Amino acid sequence: MNPLPALVLLPVIGGGLAWLAERILPHTSAPARNASWWVMLATLIVEALLLAMVTFNHPTIRTGPWLEHFSMPWIPTMGIAIRLDMDGLSLSLIWLSLILCFLCACLATRQVTIKSGTFHFLFLTTFTGIIGTFLATDLFLFFFFWELMLVPMFVLIAVWGHEDRQRAALKFFMFTQGSGLLMLLSILGLVITHDRETGVLTFDYFTLAQTHLSPTLSMLLMLGFFIAFAVKLPIVPVHVWLPDAHTQAPTAASVLLAGILLKTGGYGMIRFNIMLFPDTAMYFAPVAMGLGVVGVLYGAWLSCAQEDIKRLIAYSSISHMGFVVLGIFTGSRMGMQGAIIQMLAHGLSAGALFLIAGAIQDRLHTRDMHRIGGLWTAMPRLSATGLFFAVASLGMPGLGNFAGEFLVLLATWHVSPIIATVTTVGLVLAAIYALRMVNRVFLAAPRGDQLPLKDLPVRQMAVFACAMIFLIVLGLHPQPFMTFSAPSPLSVIGVTGQGEHAP
Amino acid sequence: MIEHDVFLPTSLPVLCVGITVMLAATAWRRSTNRSFLTGLATLLLALVFVGHHTGTARDNGDSLFIQDQWANYTAILIMFSSMCILLISWRNDANDRTTSLVDEYPLLCMLGTLGALTMVFSANYMPFFLGLEILGVSLMGLVTFRHRPVMPGYEAAMKYLILSGVSSAILLFGVGLAYGVTGSLRFMPPATTGDIYPALPVAATIMILIGMFFKLSAVPFHMWLLDVMEGAPVPVAAFLAVVSKIAIFSSLIRYFGTGNQPPFLNDILYVVIILTIMGGNLLALRQTSLTRLLACSSIAHVGYLLIAFLCPGRLQSGAITIYLLAYTASTLGVFATIAAFATPDGSDGAVIAQWKGLFFTRPFLASSMSLMLLSLAGIPPGIGFFAKFEIAATGVEYQRNLLLGVLIIGSIIGLYYYLNIIRVMMSAPSLPSASLNRHIRPELMALVIVLTIIVVIGGLFPARALHPLLPVSAIPSDTEAEMTMR
Repeated sequence: MNPLPALVLLPVIGGGLAWLAERILPHTSAPARNASWWVMLATLIVEALLLAMVTFNHPTIRTGPWLEHFSMPWIPTMGIAIRLDMDGLSLSLIWLSLILCFLCACLATRQVTIKSGTFHFLFLTTFTGIIGTFLATDLFLFFFFWELMLVPMFVLIAVWGHEDRQRAALKFFMFTQGSGLLMLLSILGLVITHDRETGVLTFDYFTLAQTHLSPTLSMLLMLGFFIAFAVKLPIVPVHVWLPDAHTQAPTAASVLLAGILLKTGGYGMIRFNIMLFPDTAMYFAPVAMGLGVVGVLYGAWLSCAQEDIKRLIAYSSISHMGFVVLGIFTGSRMGMQGAIIQMLAHGLSAGALFLIAGAIQDRLHTRDMHRIGGLWTAMPRLSATGLFFAVASLGMPGLGNFAGEFLVLLATWHVSPIIATVTTVGLVLAAIYALRMVNRVFLAAPRGDQLPLKDLPVRQMAVFACAMIFLIVLGLHPQPFMTFSAPSPLSVIGVTGQGEHAP
Repeated sequence: MIEHDVFLPTSLPVLCVGITVMLAATAWRRSTNRSFLTGLATLLLALVFVGHHTGTARDNGDSLFIQDQWANYTAILIMFSSMCILLISWRNDANDRTTSLVDEYPLLCMLGTLGALTMVFSANYMPFFLGLEILGVSLMGLVTFRHRPVMPGYEAAMKYLILSGVSSAILLFGVGLAYGVTGSLRFMPPATTGDIYPALPVAATIMILIGMFFKLSAVPFHMWLLDVMEGAPVPVAAFLAVVSKIAIFSSLIRYFGTGNQPPFLNDILYVVIILTIMGGNLLALRQTSLTRLLACSSIAHVGYLLIAFLCPGRLQSGAITIYLLAYTASTLGVFATIAAFATPDGSDGAVIAQWKGLFFTRPFLASSMSLMLLSLAGIPPGIGFFAKFEIAATGVEYQRNLLLGVLIIGSIIGLYYYLNIIRVMMSAPSLPSASLNRHIRPELMALVIVLTIIVVIGGLFPARALHPLLPVSAIPSDTEAEMTMR
């Protein structure tokens, strides 16, 4: 059996079971209430096994760049098929998603007591949408998953979020969906142009890459894709939804948002902007890089001014994602690799930081840095973990974020030394906001009015330690990840010609 | 001339016989339940006979009726919707003790269905106009069927009476002009023959078009719909939003065909579509009543459908077919859920604020309602997602860039008000929401489940619903050139 559809369907089926588990069992006793959580954990474990099978079951892993392929007809009259393909890029991003889901499962979602079955169902459904987005190579299917993952996320924020959750959820949905419609038009434009040229109506990614487009049309279509991904990533003028959504979401959803959902934007830029429209993307690159730099500086600057821990991390995400845009549009292999490493590292570090913020909120019932302070004496383990991830996020050499940012800056330097120089200011600002947070929250003198607090238990520390190890490995020895996670060129499946354009 | 050998789709006489039986039964002894059952049985029988006909169709196109795939498809949609609406309204009348004269209600529903079916099958102005009026007159009766607060019902009915009368008059005038120009009552845009002044056929077409837009409630002819739908009982509002719109839209397609439309039609449609989408969506933004909101959203959906109508091409047929199906299923689902919360004392869950916290008290109904709303907004996995995708595809194929822009803006606005309802359902219930019905009737529950299944399955596997069904252009190619003259 082909593992790809199973990879996509498993989480949603597991989610359904988790939901049923909560409904069927009487939810008076604690073990019964945890049933849905156990189902979710089991689902994630099976998913991990399946993914490991896909990863390691290929002795000839580097001979064919596309690791797996699956296709079956869906809507034949429109030329739409269920078509899934996996290369190193999608595989590494799915691994990242899975690891973060484990982190969420072990650290955050067990605390959800209100309608936990529904929560786990929605969580896993979002996960399905994300995996589908990373795998789909039929543009209609891609769009389907792209839209599909928004709905459960909307509900997660709107029901389980914090005080101003509903407005934030609405904003999140409107921004991402509205920009998604532009992408839909681009997809349709590409399909119809291809149809006019060849008389074949198809949504196949590889076939559509062969379409000959006029420069204007190509630019228009690419912009449609770019705006959708820019909103998701987010790039500065369209980032408005992100701070609210991240701040108001429940911890697990924040992790999912920052860790993975933002990455679908970066993934889309690599897979669709750069690889479908290579020439136009390079023509557009100066604008995109400019937007990236603005994102880096703007996010970092606003991050310095935040008093809400979650908001601070949210703005820092905008800053870090700016590096991703910069790397992707440098047009060099190195920049692309830097962007991918940065995505993986940011997923881990921002995810972990959100988990820590969530843990603090659970204990102190506030996210305001004015009211939190000096946690080190009360909670040394949590504080040390927080320090580690804050330092990772500011780009300490030896950790994954540094590797990513360094590669991006190096690649940018080759294109434009000025941009690279300006971007480094972002690193300085990153040091300021990260250390400010560490100072205020963990290191400052403890406040007198704090209740006795429970530190992180050893079990949870072990989970965090895994994320730390990943980050360190990513920072000290990024080479295997760089070769492994490179996107495959288009030229493999029955297509020739366009491949050499792809980085 | 019409000869004795009348070509007649069998569903029409079946419905007529059913209605006669219902009338006779009412005269013998009144029984609401029996009326409803007879109505449902008649509709089922008519559904079975939908592909059959009596008599032979005449080659020269002079017969009163026509039966092709398009007519059959819309007829099936109409009958299905009528059955749903009868199911939705059953309790309202069977258990309501405030009025005793209730078996007219299913009778009027059946009459309205008959009118709609006649319009769908007609190939001649005469049966078309008859059908239109049967539908209109029975709707007028239906609109007043509100149980407790009588005044809004009467007001709505009056409004409907006057405006529908005006629009019918305009339409009839157009028909008269067309007859004067061509000397034929065939249901197609008139073309100049001989030495007739060329503006006359154009004027006739535009008048007929205005009449149709009135009934279709396209902006700027939409003002009546909101008040009428709000004043009418919930199932009747559903009847207005679904059955009558499908009938009119089907006739519109039949009238102009799907071939090349004359350029003046293009210009008019362009303006009307933009106004309709924007007007409908903007009006919906500030509504506090769910039926009013649905009225506005149905206006917007007519706008989306007209985009597909304006973009003839390979994708058009599938787009219109699936959009009609998606609109029907989702709208009926929303109305069924609204009706499910109606209480015997008259409050029917039409105020959005009453839906607060529904996700916690009635999770299943709230979820299916959200699914229907998402489908209307065009979000997967509802069937509406694929329908909107197809509409966008037709627009892209014909490069109607302005319309596509309007479609996107309209969809984003639409998203806001649909999501707002979902948001209200998710917010924590602040006051005890005793205003909504606690005991959902089983037949409504079954209906909601069936419609939910249709919406989800249709959204995941839409390939089955994509069939080329539209009739070909009714305008012969040689007269087309003359139509283009203004």
